[in-house]
Amino acid sequence: MDILIELFAWFADPARWTGGGGVPARMGEHVYYSLLGLLLSAVVAVPLGLFTGHTGRGGFLTTSLANFARALPTIGVLFLIVLAAGIGLVPVLCALVALAVPPILVNTHEGVRGVEPRLRDAAFGMGMRGHQVLLRLELPVAVPLILIGMRTAAVQVVATATIAAYVGVGGLGRYIVDGQARQDLTMMLGGSVLVVLLAVLTTLLFAGLRRLLVAPGLRTGAVAGR
Amino acid sequence: MITFEGAAKLYPDGTVAVDALDLTVETGQTTVFVGPSGSGKTTSLRMINRMVEPTGGAVLIDGQDVRLRDPAALRRSIGYVIQQAGLFPHRTVRDNIATVPLLLGWGRARARARAAELMELVGLEPSQARRYPHQLSGGQQQRVGVARALAADPPILLMDEPFSAVDPVVRASLQDELLRLQEELHKTVVFVTHDIDEAVRLGDRIAVFRPGGRLAQYDSPERLLAAPRDAFVESFVGYDRGVRRLSFFPARELSLREDVVFGDDTAAGAAAASMRGEPWALVVTGDHVPLGWAGAGQLARVPADTALGSLDLAPYGHTFAVDTDSLRAALDAAVLSPAGRAVGVDAAGRVVGVVSQEDLGTALWSVTE
Repeated sequence: MDILIELFAWFADPARWTGGGGVPARMGEHVYYSLLGLLLSAVVAVPLGLFTGHTGRGGFLTTSLANFARALPTIGVLFLIVLAAGIGLVPVLCALVALAVPPILVNTHEGVRGVEPRLRDAAFGMGMRGHQVLLRLELPVAVPLILIGMRTAAVQVVATATIAAYVGVGGLGRYIVDGQARQDLTMMLGGSVLVVLLAVLTTLLFAGLRRLLVAPGLRTGAVAGR
Repeated sequence: MITFEGAAKLYPDGTVAVDALDLTVETGQTTVFVGPSGSGKTTSLRMINRMVEPTGGAVLIDGQDVRLRDPAALRRSIGYVIQQAGLFPHRTVRDNIATVPLLLGWGRARARARAAELMELVGLEPSQARRYPHQLSGGQQQRVGVARALAADPPILLMDEPFSAVDPVVRASLQDELLRLQEELHKTVVFVTHDIDEAVRLGDRIAVFRPGGRLAQYDSPERLLAAPRDAFVESFVGYDRGVRRLSFFPARELSLREDVVFGDDTAAGAAAASMRGEPWALVVTGDHVPLGWAGAGQLARVPADTALGSLDLAPYGHTFAVDTDSLRAALDAAVLSPAGRAVGVDAAGRVVGVVSQEDLGTALWSVTE
């Protein structure tokens, strides 16, 4: 129980909540890196997944690449890019993007591929052009799956953004890295609790986004097209 | 008018989907493409709106090769209804129906007003406008599918097995609805089905396709049933084609007997005396509503002054409408009646007369010969 009391004391320390090393500042950095990484990933992965899903071309290639990227050790990517580009935000973002692109890309591709052929047939048969079929049918029907991919990516990114501390740009990872260096278990635990908290908040955020972005006709487990 | 001029579809693997089809679909009529699977009926239909491009020959609409038209523009001018409707799950009923008007650049308000009109036309409640497809039954979804196809008022309507996924009762009501719509709208309808009964029911003209994508016979439904061109068509239309053909002859040509119809206050003795050997008497109310059949033996057994209305009568079964029903309905009513006689009624349900199976047989012989 001592560790819990110490943890409570760590959080209760007023110094913990002010200045550049305080929780709000570290949390801000962490959220900023996570958001930036996720947005960059979405900007890359969603259009690419829409393209491969819509045209049916390059599907195998992207899925294979995505699976390859999943197997990459994130910390390895980080240090590789640090060697190439030096310390800073760039290597962190590169590592996060490499982590987040695969789930978003695969889910977007599968979401579009999964639209029932007869819906696509109806859309073309009524005189929609290719881009109209994509934007008015395939994208909205794929949104639930795309959001699931984004949520998976976001939780992983939030958990992994701790690596920013290794290259000196802060974030909640600082508590873990510094704690390790100083043999301060309480500090490491405090940092971990904050990261877990952020991951839970992220999941809740996506539950809200689902309500906001998924058409009511696709909710409540309705099967597409029935 | 839609013309197929040697239209063919050959796939690279050597499969012949449609083999040099020559056929003319008349404007304002319902033409049904019917045949077993693999006979090229759907492929032929899809050549009309360029969902399939012919590899030989051409398809012309009012003399113009469809390949000269931009596919999207062409398709917006042709209604398209598919199996299980294919409604967009993320759009409300109203927005599904408004799809083509919106593609054509109508304003949202005008497109929605048009959608409301069409919902009424196909028999949907206004309250269903904001529902989503998954909240509707299969029959309702298909009505939305038809409304969606009609939204921009296209002169041509292509229907690809639209009613095959609903149960028989709903299918019959959708067929009735289509006949009613067609009477009102006079679209050029091309309808694909594998169900010959549906084809006979809906078609002004029927094209029977045989496996290998060849046209076996193109005729009116009546001619198709009367004179199938070969063994394939004969087996496809079925061996009860003779009875089904009776649907094309009106019942009003029958001569009905009124001398065996009696009011319920007639005395049994008087009725028996005027029946002249007929085995059954039909008893009706003062308003000529049928009550049931009295047998000649029954009349002989009861006291002569018994009123017919107080007898234990045999049920008269179902009636046929003399002015609107066909010989098939009259024959059906006679076969199902315990007396072997069919009761003909007018539009108000009043008895006009009765016809026996024997009289029906004579009539059938004379009209179908």
